[in-house]
Amino acid sequence: MARIIVVTSGKGGVGKTTSSAAIGLGLALKGHKVVLIDFDIGLRNLDLIMGCERRVVYDFVNVINGEATLNQALIKDKRVSSLSILPASQTRDKDALNKENVGKVLEELGKSYDFIVCDSPAGIEAGAMMALYYADEAIVTTNPEVSSVRDSDRILGMLASRSRRAELGLDPIKEHLLLTRYSPKRVEEGEMLSVEDVEDILSIPLLGVIPESQAVLKASNAGEPVILDTESDAGKAYQDVIERLLGETVEFRFLVAEKKGIFSRMFGG
Amino acid sequence: MADASIEFKGTSFTLSVLHLKTPKLADIRADLVKKVAQAPDFFYLVPVVVNIEQLDCSLDYQAVKSLVEEFNFTFVGFTGSVDKEQRKLIRELGFSFVNTTRVDTSKKAAIAEEALTTETKATAAIPERNLYTDKVHRGQIRSGQQIYAKDQNLVVIGSVSAGAEVIADGNIHVYGSLRGRAIAGAKGHHKAQIYCQNLEAELVSINGNYWLSESMEQHWGSPVYIHLTDSELTSSKLI
Ligand SMILES: Nc1ncnc2c1ncn2[C@@H]1O[C@H](COP(=O)(O)OP(=O)(O)OP(=O)(O)O)[C@@H](O)[C@H]1O
Ligand SMILES: [Mg+2]
Repeated sequence: MARIIVVTSGKGGVGKTTSSAAIGLGLALKGHKVVLIDFDIGLRNLDLIMGCERRVVYDFVNVINGEATLNQALIKDKRVSSLSILPASQTRDKDALNKENVGKVLEELGKSYDFIVCDSPAGIEAGAMMALYYADEAIVTTNPEVSSVRDSDRILGMLASRSRRAELGLDPIKEHLLLTRYSPKRVEEGEMLSVEDVEDILSIPLLGVIPESQAVLKASNAGEPVILDTESDAGKAYQDVIERLLGETVEFRFLVAEKKGIFSRMFGG
Repeated sequence: MADASIEFKGTSFTLSVLHLKTPKLADIRADLVKKVAQAPDFFYLVPVVVNIEQLDCSLDYQAVKSLVEEFNFTFVGFTGSVDKEQRKLIRELGFSFVNTTRVDTSKKAAIAEEALTTETKATAAIPERNLYTDKVHRGQIRSGQQIYAKDQNLVVIGSVSAGAEVIADGNIHVYGSLRGRAIAGAKGHHKAQIYCQNLEAELVSINGNYWLSESMEQHWGSPVYIHLTDSELTSSKLI
């Protein structure tokens, strides 16, 4: 049985696509069969971050409409053979997906993949609801600021009430908190919420804390998910996320601002 | 040894009440024949209380009791908003007088009120809030969600997020943080209360009296209960 994981947030621009790409690739690097689905119809972003935008011929909507088969639309990743991408359409509108057909596609994919990672669009409208409907697990991507936390809280309400699991009265969706763009320095200066603050408000288990990092922008420009940048702090933090998703206990890193030298601290440098 | 073999407790029952509109036994008998004929099994051994408040002349109480028993009812006693003298008379004749709590005019209310405190407790009114049962919600109530406990108390085992709303006609208990809006006694109930383990609410309201966050400064972040004293919201620390 494939694990269907939705990467969701409510608020836009918090790092869902960045995280979907890193997590999809990270799981595949561990030898799992993974398919990444872009649910953000109309924007088409995931293929850029994955660096496969020039190889898109058919997309998710073509498959839904029966204009292409899954095999025609799936793009095999050039770096890791166990990873495929199902891109979104740039030309269709958001309402091109329907529950029944999405369900069929997921069922079909479930036969040959271990993980189905769904990159959700922002918002709480139809598109985001579609992305989370069939999920077994949700990675609630949150920035350490009040409006993002509020939106994540809303999405958590939707996961508990509007998903297939909720409608059928099955076990609830497993919720994970992924804090992204975390800047310990700004937390210390009181400009951002701390990990503890966010955990206290949302009260769901913490999956990872990804620091604010230059490496992310570099990675997206290169079409190489940041998890491949094994020297970067963000790359390492996503690596830890993979371990935790696979059941390992890994200590959290990058939670405190880099220590200044003892002298500059003593003399307030 | 204490009286372990018995125990007295007050409980409310629903009883059939036979309202008399005339003291004339023959008329009552004729109507009873018709009524009972419609459903003889239904009325068999049914406890009945005879209401006499619509009569403005005297009545042969013993005859009424016999008549009712003749139709196989189990006679319980008399009831109605009548004056003290008449009630006294009825009891002296050896019949029980049963008090009701449902009255429709203020004069009658006063009588009933007084009767309540001086006479049998079996039908005494239970304090209003105890009539409510609990609606229990497990898990956090998230932003955008609303829960209404209609004619009930609301017990939340978890926190109420900012942007969420909990409403109850009775009390509200939050075993967690209250960060959203809580409205107790929604249908108008001044004894309603709000309990929470951590007060950080956007709004609390009891019986239409409300506070916004800025009025909660005193006990912000503390375990408190909120109640009304003389139409003023008051918060008190729980521990
Ligand atoms: N850890 C990080 N450090 C620095 N920048 C980041 C980090 N994570 C994401 N970003 C940047 O934030 C922006 C938004 O990221 P991304 O596209 O992944 O968000 P999204 O949630 O998918 O957005 P949308 O809601 O529009 O789909 C991008 O410019 C990305 O480079
Ligand atoms: Mg995105």
